[in-house]
Amino acid sequence: MDLDLLYDGLVILDGAMGTVLQQRGLPPGGKPELLNFTDPDLLYAIYREYIEAGSRIVCADTFGANALKLASTGYSVDQVVSAAVGIARRAAAGTQVKVALDMGPLGELLEPLGTLTFERAYELFREVAVAGERAGADLVAIETMTDLYEAKAALLAVKENTGLPVFVTMSFERNGRTFTGCTIPSMARTLEGLGADAIGLNCSLGPDLLAPLLEELCRNTCLPVIAKPNAGLPDPATGAYGMGPEEFVEALLPCLDAGVTIFGGCCGTSPEYIRALAKALEGRVPAPRTYVSTGFVCSATVPCRLDGVRVIGERINPTGKKRLQQALLERDLDYVLDLAVQQEDAGADMLDVNVGYPGVDEAVMLPLVVKKLQSAVSLPLQLDSTDAAALEAGLRVYDGKAAVNSVNGEPAVLERILPIVKRYGAAVVGLCLDQDGIPPTAEGRVAIAKRILDAALRHGIPAEDVWIDCLTLTVSAQQGQAAETLKAVRMVREELGLQVVLGVSNISFGLPDRGTVTRSFLTQALSAGLTLPILDPNRREMMDAVAAFKVLSGEDVGCRDYIARASRAQAPQALPAAPAGALSLEEAVARGLEGEAGRLAREALTSQDGLSLVERRLIPALDKVGEDYEAGRAFLPQLLSAAQAAQRVFEAVRASIAQKGGAPVKKGRFVIATVKGDIHDIGKNIVRTVMENYGYDAVDLGRDVPPEVVVDTVREQEIRLVGLSALMTTTLPAMEETIRLLHSLPEPPVVFVGGAVVTPEHAARMGADHYAKDARQSVEIARKVFGA
Amino acid sequence: MELDLAEALRYLGVKGEPGPELYEEMSAIGDRLVRSVEPRYLYRASRVALGEEGVALEGLGLTLPGTLARRMLEGCGQAMLLVCTLGAGFEAMLRAEQARSMARAAMLDACGSVWVEAGCAAAEEEIAAHAPGSYLTDRFSPGYGDLPLALQKDICGVLDAGRRLGVQVTDSFLMNPSKTVTAVIGLSPRPQPARIRGCGACTWREDCQYRKEGKTCGS
Repeated sequence: MDLDLLYDGLVILDGAMGTVLQQRGLPPGGKPELLNFTDPDLLYAIYREYIEAGSRIVCADTFGANALKLASTGYSVDQVVSAAVGIARRAAAGTQVKVALDMGPLGELLEPLGTLTFERAYELFREVAVAGERAGADLVAIETMTDLYEAKAALLAVKENTGLPVFVTMSFERNGRTFTGCTIPSMARTLEGLGADAIGLNCSLGPDLLAPLLEELCRNTCLPVIAKPNAGLPDPATGAYGMGPEEFVEALLPCLDAGVTIFGGCCGTSPEYIRALAKALEGRVPAPRTYVSTGFVCSATVPCRLDGVRVIGERINPTGKKRLQQALLERDLDYVLDLAVQQEDAGADMLDVNVGYPGVDEAVMLPLVVKKLQSAVSLPLQLDSTDAAALEAGLRVYDGKAAVNSVNGEPAVLERILPIVKRYGAAVVGLCLDQDGIPPTAEGRVAIAKRILDAALRHGIPAEDVWIDCLTLTVSAQQGQAAETLKAVRMVREELGLQVVLGVSNISFGLPDRGTVTRSFLTQALSAGLTLPILDPNRREMMDAVAAFKVLSGEDVGCRDYIARASRAQAPQALPAAPAGALSLEEAVARGLEGEAGRLAREALTSQDGLSLVERRLIPALDKVGEDYEAGRAFLPQLLSAAQAAQRVFEAVRASIAQKGGAPVKKGRFVIATVKGDIHDIGKNIVRTVMENYGYDAVDLGRDVPPEVVVDTVREQEIRLVGLSALMTTTLPAMEETIRLLHSLPEPPVVFVGGAVVTPEHAARMGADHYAKDARQSVEIARKVFGA
Repeated sequence: MELDLAEALRYLGVKGEPGPELYEEMSAIGDRLVRSVEPRYLYRASRVALGEEGVALEGLGLTLPGTLARRMLEGCGQAMLLVCTLGAGFEAMLRAEQARSMARAAMLDACGSVWVEAGCAAAEEEIAAHAPGSYLTDRFSPGYGDLPLALQKDICGVLDAGRRLGVQVTDSFLMNPSKTVTAVIGLSPRPQPARIRGCGACTWREDCQYRKEGKTCGS
């Protein structure tokens, strides 16, 4: 399809299909796609009515034509898509009207909310897109998306497997977010970066309530913008939509002034509405657009506009960090997540993620870490690697607009990395060095920055997405360079107007009292124009310096953030702090005082080895809490708080072992899983937390785990203990099957079961070796099995 | 809408008086939940006809089988189907909390269970306000008595809850997001006695820890 159509003037789409079909007899909850076979004449008639009303693009009846939704119908994706596109094509024959392949959500939720993987979602959309192009669709309309991740899977599937133009529209609520929390700027800049041809909003609200959101969308994209609102809101009791055609059009017209150029209707609209719309838009011309160009990265839920100083957290980088190195080698993603959580809580605006270490396959590890982090941390990520395959794999599964750290002025590097940056719509950090090293002068570095900018522009990456790292050199080794770096920062800001990045802590390497020098350098660099300092946000003095700078620069209007920050620092802690030195390790664990427990453990480790600390002090302390819990003197939160404090003790022991070498404290590995069909896993996670903090090593297979996966893991890793959890009566058969398979192994493991619906009677009937009513009993079972 | 903290503590297994620390932390978590997540709901009315196979909901193509539905809806001219959810926002909050503190996550989870019930109660009030002269039966849900869990899928289907609330029912009839409730409420011209209270109507009666100990969750 010729894209000129989208830029020449206003475009009128069609109105609803689903609700029109319901008006004509389809029962609520019925599958409109089946009408392609049972009543093609009805569909033909509706397309004709839309075309006669003025639609220039009609959507074929393929909204739910994916393999998941068609599973029980007896029809294949190909059959439905080719029938649907065929009927629409016949209706459009002899006109200039284009036919869109309509792609709605898959009907299953993606990870982390559901269990559908991004990769599987991509495959499902690919099948639909390929069928659509083969059937003769002119374009693809991805619509009614509420999950940016799902929209990304669909968009990539279309872009990478067809030559068709593609529209993407998402459904937002009144609060400016989708059900999954996606914001308008996140949607706009992510989808534009990924190469959508037009984007917009459909469904959920009427034109009156959608108008302000469409205005915001127009400010956040250069692409043509689509409006397909509902005919008002449905009556809660009857489901009937409230707005008539005239009212609908009147409420929609202000969107024209905001810059919308592509108009249609969603639920509750009909050919009558499109006719009224076509009449009202006759002779009207597109309004000028007011796109606000700005540096920007985001997760789906947190947009990060680069219009001031934004802190990039540096902690996820294994260079010189033994504990993180160990975690990466052991694929201990929870440790990496913990680093991320700490930085988010300390006030970072985005997180640098570097997993490069000998023995770690970055192309495998980076996407795993990205998925893990975005499941529980909402900050945007900056993927830090020189490995093109790793960057591609990480960017692909990222839910939002990421940054890439980094390229440099070397042409081979630029040619290798920039196409990947462009393909996934990321921002990119360019280091001011090239094959000849780091230029000693500011002018030399700025020259490289210019080359990087030019190369980026040639690859279609806009200047707002190019960030320059002027490079911090160690002042104790090259004293004159600090001034050159600051000068380069000023020049890049003033001459090129680009974002400037600096990893600031390198400045003080090798000096005593590093914090003083680093902080002073940070302040000077910010004054020179640094916008994106990379630092450790857990260091309060650094974050204080940034907060103070924002006050002085005027960015923190009314000093509000500064004052709020100061009052937070003075607020009493949630748990009463114990007087220093008054508390034993045992008491700190029992009271769940994490910081104190960790500190006391580090202290104890100077005179006691890890194993005896765990066995003689930690475990008895946990047992005491366990006994209180059983007796009803303590409750689940206290049991878990003690387990968390114990985790700090273990963390201290692990750090000490990583530092000194020696055998890790491991009392036995167990597998834990929520059975197939069960997707809620907080109960399983509670059991895991408590058991781990007794020193047992968990292999957590997650939720919705097929029996075979449990069995294979047990066999491959020679596991002796397995815990299975089920929440619903409907998944007990899956639990029973898992137990049966485990017990048929030559060396069957001990299996214990628990979960909301599981009773001792169920457990016995299913052949489980033990029933655990709670986390505490699980520990007792582990003791019997491992003898410790 | 108010979050019933005592009930949330009971969900958490707290019997008797929680200590002041636990109570304060729980109430802070409850406050944060109430500030950041609003229960959302949808409902739809249908005329009711008692037939051979169960209670037919006319115009929705749905029949509620079994004795519970018949007993509850006898004498009702209309029934409301209801879906209420805390949505994906709550799930994200719970995941984020689990990455920080399982203790607080367990508390948040319990607060969530209570908060979605508060949403159902609000929907019920709204329904009552829009139906002057009608009396509402107790709210009952798939999984209660002999009302099959499988109905959750049908109820979400006719209410278009996937599109309108972002709710999905899995093949094993789990609701996703987890804090989602489907329910049926009858509307009658005559006052309705409370019928659903007590262990007799409870889904958990076979498995309930309280009952095993000779107590009830309400005591």
